[in-house]
Amino acid sequence: MAQPWEGEGMSRHLVPRLADGMGRVFLALILVFLYVPIAVLALMGFNESVHYALPFEFSTKWYEALASNERLLTASFNSVWIALANTVVATVIGTMAAFALGRFRFRGRTVMQLLLFPPITIPWLIIGTAMLVFFFWTGIGRGLHAMLLGHIALSLPYVIIVIGARMASFGPELEEAAASLGATPLQAFWRVSIPVLMPGIVAAALFAFAVSFDQFVISYFLAPPGISVLPVEIFSAIRKGFTPEVNAISTLVIFVSMGIMLAFARLSKFGGER
Amino acid sequence: MSVVEARNVTKRYGEVVALDNVSLVFPEGHFFALLGPSGSGKTTLLRAVAGFVEPEAGEILLDGEDIAHTPAHRRNIGMVFQNYALFPHMNVFDNIAFGLSVRGVSRADARERVHRMLELVRLPGMEERKPRQLSGGQQQRVALARALVTEPKVLLLDEPLGALDKRLRQEMQIELKQIQRAVGITAIFVTHDQEEALTLSDQIAIINDGRLIQIGAPTEIYENPGSVFAASFLGDANVLRGRVEGDAVAVEGVGPVAPRGVLPAQGAPAVVAVRPEKVRILSQASGEACNRLAGRIVQGVFSGTSVTYLVETPAGTQRAFRQNAGERLFADGEGVVLEWSREHTVVVEE
Amino acid sequence: MRAETRRRWAIAGLTGPAYLWLTLTIFLPLSAMLWFSFQKKGPFGRHESEFTLKHYEAFFNKAYMQDLTWRSLEMGLQVTGICLLLGFPAAYVLAKRIRGRWREALFLLVVLPFWSNALVRIFSWTVVLRPGGVLDGAVQFVWPGAPSIDLADSWSAVIIGLVHSYLPYMILTCYLSLQAIDDSLIEAARSLGASAMTILWRIVLPLAIPGLAAGAVLIFVPVIGSFFEPKLLGGTQGVVIGTVIEEQFTVVSNWPLGGALSFILLAIVLLVLAVSYPFLKDRMRTT
Repeated sequence: MAQPWEGEGMSRHLVPRLADGMGRVFLALILVFLYVPIAVLALMGFNESVHYALPFEFSTKWYEALASNERLLTASFNSVWIALANTVVATVIGTMAAFALGRFRFRGRTVMQLLLFPPITIPWLIIGTAMLVFFFWTGIGRGLHAMLLGHIALSLPYVIIVIGARMASFGPELEEAAASLGATPLQAFWRVSIPVLMPGIVAAALFAFAVSFDQFVISYFLAPPGISVLPVEIFSAIRKGFTPEVNAISTLVIFVSMGIMLAFARLSKFGGER
Repeated sequence: MSVVEARNVTKRYGEVVALDNVSLVFPEGHFFALLGPSGSGKTTLLRAVAGFVEPEAGEILLDGEDIAHTPAHRRNIGMVFQNYALFPHMNVFDNIAFGLSVRGVSRADARERVHRMLELVRLPGMEERKPRQLSGGQQQRVALARALVTEPKVLLLDEPLGALDKRLRQEMQIELKQIQRAVGITAIFVTHDQEEALTLSDQIAIINDGRLIQIGAPTEIYENPGSVFAASFLGDANVLRGRVEGDAVAVEGVGPVAPRGVLPAQGAPAVVAVRPEKVRILSQASGEACNRLAGRIVQGVFSGTSVTYLVETPAGTQRAFRQNAGERLFADGEGVVLEWSREHTVVVEE
Repeated sequence: MRAETRRRWAIAGLTGPAYLWLTLTIFLPLSAMLWFSFQKKGPFGRHESEFTLKHYEAFFNKAYMQDLTWRSLEMGLQVTGICLLLGFPAAYVLAKRIRGRWREALFLLVVLPFWSNALVRIFSWTVVLRPGGVLDGAVQFVWPGAPSIDLADSWSAVIIGLVHSYLPYMILTCYLSLQAIDDSLIEAARSLGASAMTILWRIVLPLAIPGLAAGAVLIFVPVIGSFFEPKLLGGTQGVVIGTVIEEQFTVVSNWPLGGALSFILLAIVLLVLAVSYPFLKDRMRTT
């Protein structure tokens, strides 16, 4: 005799529904896992206690202390201006390269595209130490300028890939149309290609900024003694046993980074009218 | 009005020969069609005239001057692209005025000329719109206006009507022709659609495998195809193969088929063709003297205004096309006789 | 042909700056380090170039170096494995079970932390895992009287931190792969009578392999080369080949040895990439 739960209605609808529900709970747990440390970090920045001890007492004193922490402020300033310089250089020469790779067919093209992968797939430890060795040997040495050189090198592949993706959605007809109307290649590039690529260029610029601003490994090896950039400062502060001001600046940093990536996502996915 | 000429143009892409020593004159003021299947080289030829393809050998003459090695932006041409290629970040006015602004035309002058162009393509008042706000047909007209406003010497069109639906296409065909006549410009367009080529052009050049197959006015080419390819590509054709015997071609299993025109030598292989609409289909042979073929109906394809019968004969499947004048339709399997006159039978090359 | 030479100049001019930069800052440095790894002494002061294999030999002779390398590989496998187990189901739910605006929003939420500051994220874990810290407090709250959880300076902490850092990457690649699977394939299978398990095993999984492989490679490679995560989260437990390499350059100043070890690590990376290429190739074809 058939059991009641062996009927069609039950097994057909209940099990998939349960699976669905469990799936969503699982996803929610993953999200919690991803955000809890960040939330804790942010919360602790407002906690009275120096040692992150509970119970929680709200206080903004660490942010106030941050405002007068010369070291951290200088490091932040350095991080920002390096990131800006990096963005400008990487975006300009990256756009040029991406344009050539996307529009022209030539013999070394595939090789050049493949060459973009080593900088992003090789562990940054190896690249950072290699840069240290080479820069030392050639007299470039360590310092903010060396970091800038390194950051640009890391940003370039990302810039080229992001803009390349945007270019793939536009064929060469627009530039050809411009040429047929009498525009020189330079005029066509400036008045047609660049404006059409603009959302991709801005997205790539944001990406480049984030790569530089958040970069730790390369900065670490190329850092001079003394004050350099923010991630390096945070690292040494952690090693030494820190003050929660580091926590405060870290919270700010992480929200800035996430904000930039949010802007990038909106530009590259939802923006870009065809 | 300008004359464009291609002389001995050859273009290779690695192993592939896209254009093989092609020579062609595009007479002034004509609406000229380059017709052929995909990969035939027709688009390559158009792009060579435009300046996006540089031939290895040969000349491209515009009013007698060789422009084959002049960069595209220095040739005085106008081009309409397959997907219109309107600049998405500019509105209609800026799109059309682009060619003018590049030439340093003053804003006031440009405004006047753009306005006139929009009137010509029947899109008045659309200056402020962006391309994505326009329908396919409207985009096409803007593309046309943009190409014509700089008063180029020749207008090039790459499959201009391919992206439009049937009704729109028919409308645009008429308009395109009218505009070309009104402006009086030499126009060259590329298409794989033989119907479009027949309706629009003053002259057609059939191109295949990088070679010029045949050139002539639509009716001319249609009634006198020179080759099996031309006969089958432009319209439909019944092709019969055999050997020359007397003043006819002896087709295997059928008998003599008499064509008009010159036959090759006696005993040599020959091919003749007749268009389906020239073939009469009857239940039994009439007494008249003409070419005749007996067969059986395989299928009758009814399309409202006409019927096309596929008839199985000893010489292969043949087609007969009959206007629907209300006669009884032949049934599948029915025995029929196909008759057609000598006048309508042409000798073609393989 | 004048147009041809013009083109060549244009290409060279446009790609020149970027690729010159890459050559000077990445390819030349790597070559330089390779060169130095075969030298007796580092590039300090002037001395004759003395070719030697002793740094490479050091790796093969000293057991602890190989042990540490295994430890790094182990770390890589553990982190990659956990990311696979957690990431693939999460990506599946996101790609196949959630629709519309929620899907885009959740996807963004998942991927966002990955592109924020890596160091700060690790830092946040040190805050969470301290004894007397938040995790401890939470456990105490739920189960008073439980023994104090001290995960700080432990191997587990390192794994947790690395998984947290790289999990979004796995979810991203799996999501992209899964999303590309046409729903009509699954519906067709269902109409042919396949159960959910069969569909998952025989249709979804095989088609998602490029995404899984990409995620695995993109996680494994950086993880085996990581050093600051083990250092910050593992303390004495967090000694791996990455930290050893780092110390050659910062503390010990034995740059040639550091270089040699780096290249051995690089050889392992290239091996991994070569082995996984066939699994990734499908992905290349569809993009």
